[in-house]
Amino acid sequence: MANETQILTVSELTKEIRKTLEETFEQVSVVGEISNFKSHISGHWYFSLKDADAVINCTMWKGFNQYVFFTPQDGMKIIVNGKLTVYPPRGSYQLDIRSIKPAGLGELQEAFEKLKKKLEAEGLFDEKYKKPIPVFPNKIGVVTSKDGAAFKDLVSVAKRRFPLVEIVIVPARVQGSGAAESIVNSIKLLNEYSGIDVVIVARGGGSIEDLWALNEEIVARAIFNSKVPIISGVGHEVDFTIADYVSDLRAPTPSVAMEIATPDIIDIENFIEEFISKSSTNIQEIIEARIQDVNSFSRSYSFRLPMDMLNRKTQQVDMSIGRVLQSIEKFSMIYDKKITLLTKSLDAYDVQRALKRGFVLVKQNSKFVTRAVNFNKENKAQLKFYDGEVTTH
Amino acid sequence: MAKKKTKSNFEQDLARLEEISRTLEEDNVELEEAISLFEEGVKLSKSCLKTLKEAELKITELKNELGKISQVEED
Repeated sequence: MANETQILTVSELTKEIRKTLEETFEQVSVVGEISNFKSHISGHWYFSLKDADAVINCTMWKGFNQYVFFTPQDGMKIIVNGKLTVYPPRGSYQLDIRSIKPAGLGELQEAFEKLKKKLEAEGLFDEKYKKPIPVFPNKIGVVTSKDGAAFKDLVSVAKRRFPLVEIVIVPARVQGSGAAESIVNSIKLLNEYSGIDVVIVARGGGSIEDLWALNEEIVARAIFNSKVPIISGVGHEVDFTIADYVSDLRAPTPSVAMEIATPDIIDIENFIEEFISKSSTNIQEIIEARIQDVNSFSRSYSFRLPMDMLNRKTQQVDMSIGRVLQSIEKFSMIYDKKITLLTKSLDAYDVQRALKRGFVLVKQNSKFVTRAVNFNKENKAQLKFYDGEVTTH
Repeated sequence: MAKKKTKSNFEQDLARLEEISRTLEEDNVELEEAISLFEEGVKLSKSCLKTLKEAELKITELKNELGKISQVEED
């Protein structure tokens, strides 16, 4: 140490003080409340730590603060670890912090409640801002860790329920330092990418520290500002995050989120099958009604309409039935089981099948002869077999 | 692009099926109309079921880089 007669420059003295302080407080843990927290654009953090009677300035450089899983807030009680140092230009001492943790889980809980209250007051959770989730999405954006179980769950549910969909994943850190920024960035990217119908923000369950990124204000605002509707699928049912409140829809797990985002292929197939059976019944009824119309028409002698007009009508019906049977036949190649019943009942009307079984149609003067009494033995007759026509004398 | 069109058509096809189904339930539908609707419906059903059967989940990954979109993988 310098003796009384020695004269030091300010710098020299400061240097000595610095040395003394840094050696004495090389590694200290301090508990205190944050005030004046500022995250500089450079990435460094500046704030004060205080208790009822004292204040100490703190710095936390980017290289260290990037490992902090939460964003410090004024009023939060934290425990810091670092060394004491001196900033010569100001002649002040300050804590150079290496690590931070909340003084207790209560601190996080309090920060959570505070942010929730604030965003709620701003209207970020209002029903009126909730966007509807589309029923048939083409592209589903996914914000989660690519290696996590959540992503595997999302993919397997999508595969099972609606493989027509395209999943667009923007991998994000969902826990630990920088997670909030990473999630925000992924949400932004998916909003810029074209054609995303809905976004799922997902991660598996965990402790309040694990889930903390989803309780950060920047994440809440990114979700709120997203033009694409967002479903949150976080954790295992119990805990709500701020992200859950602000999302357009909250699902209790990643799997459920994907279930909400996709229609079920089984429902669609059922719908189509129901269409086929219902419409087949309807078309049968319509055809039968028409056949009856024609039958009663032909029996009513009072009309005395020329035979060829009646034939035209009959032919029209026959052709229609033929076309129906054709489409049914084509269709049944793939799904014959489903429409066996229909085909069977419509078979009765199929002239071709009747011919195939050995029945013969008799024509005279280009008109079908359906009664023996109408057959003129003097005239030529055409016999229509299944495989062709012959003319007799 | 072609695939995208198929997919957005899927929803329209289902909506059309529903429409056809409703029309065929009406009492006053004309025979000719009913038959062509039914044919259309069967055709749509077939193509929809085929689309579902052949569908394969597509996964695209975008890199998370600030202000940049780059597609790194597509399968």
